[in-house]
Amino acid sequence: MDLNFTPEETAFRQQIRDWVAANLPADISHKVHHALHLSRDDMQRWAKILGKQGWLGWGWPKEHGGPGWNAVQRHLFEEECALAGAPRVVPFGPIMVAPVIMAFGTPEQQRRFLPGIASGEVWWSQGYSEPGSGSDLASLKCRAERRGDYYIVNGQKTWTTLGQYGEWIFCLVRTSNEGKPQTGISFLLIDMKTPGVSVRPIIMLDGGQEVNEVWFDNVEVPADQLIGEENKGWTYAKYLLSHERTNIADVNRAKRELERLKRIAKAEGLWDDRRFRDQIALLEVDIVALEMMVLRVLSAETSGKQSLDVAGLLKIRGSEIQQRYSELMMLAAGPFALPFIREAMEAGWQGDHVGAAHCAPLASTYFNYRKTTIYGGSNEVQRNIVAQTVLGS
Amino acid sequence: MNFDFSDDQVALRDAVARWVERDFGFERRHALAKKGGATRDVFRELVDLGLAGLTVDPSHGGMGFGAVEAMVVMEELGRGLVNAPYAAACLVAPALLAGGDAAVTAPWLARIADGSALIVPALQEQGARYRHDAVATTAAQQAGGWALAGTKHLAPAGDEADAYIVPARMGPHAVAPIGLFIVERARCRVRAYPTADGARAASVTLAASPAQLVQSDALGAIERAADVGIAAACAEGVGAMDRLVAMTVEYMNTRKQFGVPIASFQALRHRMADVKMALELARSMSYYASLKLGEPAPQRRRALSQAKVQLGQSMRFVGQQCIQLHGGIGVTDECAASHYFKRLTMLEFAFGDTLHHVGEVSERMADTAGVFA
Repeated sequence: MDLNFTPEETAFRQQIRDWVAANLPADISHKVHHALHLSRDDMQRWAKILGKQGWLGWGWPKEHGGPGWNAVQRHLFEEECALAGAPRVVPFGPIMVAPVIMAFGTPEQQRRFLPGIASGEVWWSQGYSEPGSGSDLASLKCRAERRGDYYIVNGQKTWTTLGQYGEWIFCLVRTSNEGKPQTGISFLLIDMKTPGVSVRPIIMLDGGQEVNEVWFDNVEVPADQLIGEENKGWTYAKYLLSHERTNIADVNRAKRELERLKRIAKAEGLWDDRRFRDQIALLEVDIVALEMMVLRVLSAETSGKQSLDVAGLLKIRGSEIQQRYSELMMLAAGPFALPFIREAMEAGWQGDHVGAAHCAPLASTYFNYRKTTIYGGSNEVQRNIVAQTVLGS
Repeated sequence: MNFDFSDDQVALRDAVARWVERDFGFERRHALAKKGGATRDVFRELVDLGLAGLTVDPSHGGMGFGAVEAMVVMEELGRGLVNAPYAAACLVAPALLAGGDAAVTAPWLARIADGSALIVPALQEQGARYRHDAVATTAAQQAGGWALAGTKHLAPAGDEADAYIVPARMGPHAVAPIGLFIVERARCRVRAYPTADGARAASVTLAASPAQLVQSDALGAIERAADVGIAAACAEGVGAMDRLVAMTVEYMNTRKQFGVPIASFQALRHRMADVKMALELARSMSYYASLKLGEPAPQRRRALSQAKVQLGQSMRFVGQQCIQLHGGIGVTDECAASHYFKRLTMLEFAFGDTLHHVGEVSERMADTAGVFA
């Protein structure tokens, strides 16, 4: 047992830190450190910088053009990016669909799709949830019928994050109604410029357009955009979910945001208020404990000597912590969290702030973060999974 | 960075676990608690297992093992709910003596290592709560040594110990430096009583009691030893919670109501998921506590307080919920779960409760957070 990183790992961290310091645009990290609005361009600019370095697919093996890092190195990379104020990489391409294409796609599909994902050129979206299929995802109805060399897709997807920017979308579609719901699902890659695809924004409680409905009206999808076998899509989707288990805890970002919370508390004169400061102390303990749990998982993955049954816990805890820091930041602002001036949440706004500038986006973020315990499998569904593991029944 | 146990550590764990399995079943624990918690014979068996000198330096006949080995042993003693002042006598006491006057400490460390002496810390004063610098006991120099006056409470197994390690002010005024002393039990007035978890403690009154000076200006040494005690309490708590959760899982899968095992009810399943969360966060922070013991004092104290906050919260939650999940049987004396619950409750008090350590973390909060801060 050793808490410390090896000299090689420490040198690796330093190498990443130096590179990020030299390559992360200051205007982007400024926005991240102050929770200001990030544009499509901001997100894609950073993705392309990573792509040029070969690091947008930082979890990829060498054979597919990735750096071939182990679990600890991937963690260190994510931590250095997060602490430096890099935007979160939009995960749908490099983290979610790419591993599925690598594992189950044909060599032709790999040649066709992976380079655009690795470079950050192509924006991918996810088409999983439907209005009637949230936690019960396997009940999905969006239909794909085989006609010659095409699938004809009809139906609706929803909660498609940043789908307004999407160029391609990977979808779970129903290709059979035989047997169990899970056995009639296929995994389809769809060009969003295909006629019949339409994207409609859903305005969220914070006023932002982050998610969308995606409609498919007799959309013709070439059959060579099916991944793997027809009706095996559920297996691929589960493989996708099992990937990048520690990343979902987002503990690195939590560490960065805890520091922002401390800065806000100091600026608001709350640092010497014991009642408030103790709440920060409790959150700090929560974050250290989550980080230790993440490190245990990384260690187990790297050494292969232990099997840990804690992966399901990471999403629950990580999302609760995200909500907690956004809540405490808003509470720290007090009444000055109330003004909701959208322009004040943009970088470079020259108008008059009501209260300190750091107060402007806090309520918005708090509202927005209610999603964290709902998406990616609601925390209640996660508890079902944890309970199944613990109780064995 | 890795959290694998070495082969030697696994062997150590197995040896303790085997003894618990064979010789320290719940019936024995239950009977001991009913008798008022007498523990010296159990302690003797731990000595026979070779555990007495676990962390004592080899120059005194000990094994010189580190914090991880201590953690492994404490986890297993916790799992077995072993009623013996092992942490106090074999982990905290050597830590208190380390760095002291070798002429005084060497014979005692040798007797700790060979198991011939049971020497326990007697730290608690009335009104001090968890503050190490709140010491009213005084030490006065006299011909040939020192004499102590004051009362210390809750010395573990205090009526069975051979001697106590006692902090006292080295002068008549309230700001005099705090020294550490060894006092033999025979020179004190001892009042023993059972504690709420079925163990035994004593109040020790010192009145012109002759004492050997271990170390003057010992506050730093006391804080360090208290951190050793926190790490031990964390590990014991993890072992106890592990066993209590396993017991509760078994109960939920066998107890039937409405014609089905109660493990099938979602309200209870989610409660169990939350219990598992509390347990794994605690295990993570117990590792953290032991692995941070070797850090410089500021980092060490911050880390150990963080760990104790997590353990305090987890032990209370897991204890309470596992009783709840047992239903009526959980609140009976015959049910082992209730005894685990009581021990977990007592462990929250060991070397500072949750609220105390939240305050410590709050005081020590710096501009960076995280495991590597």
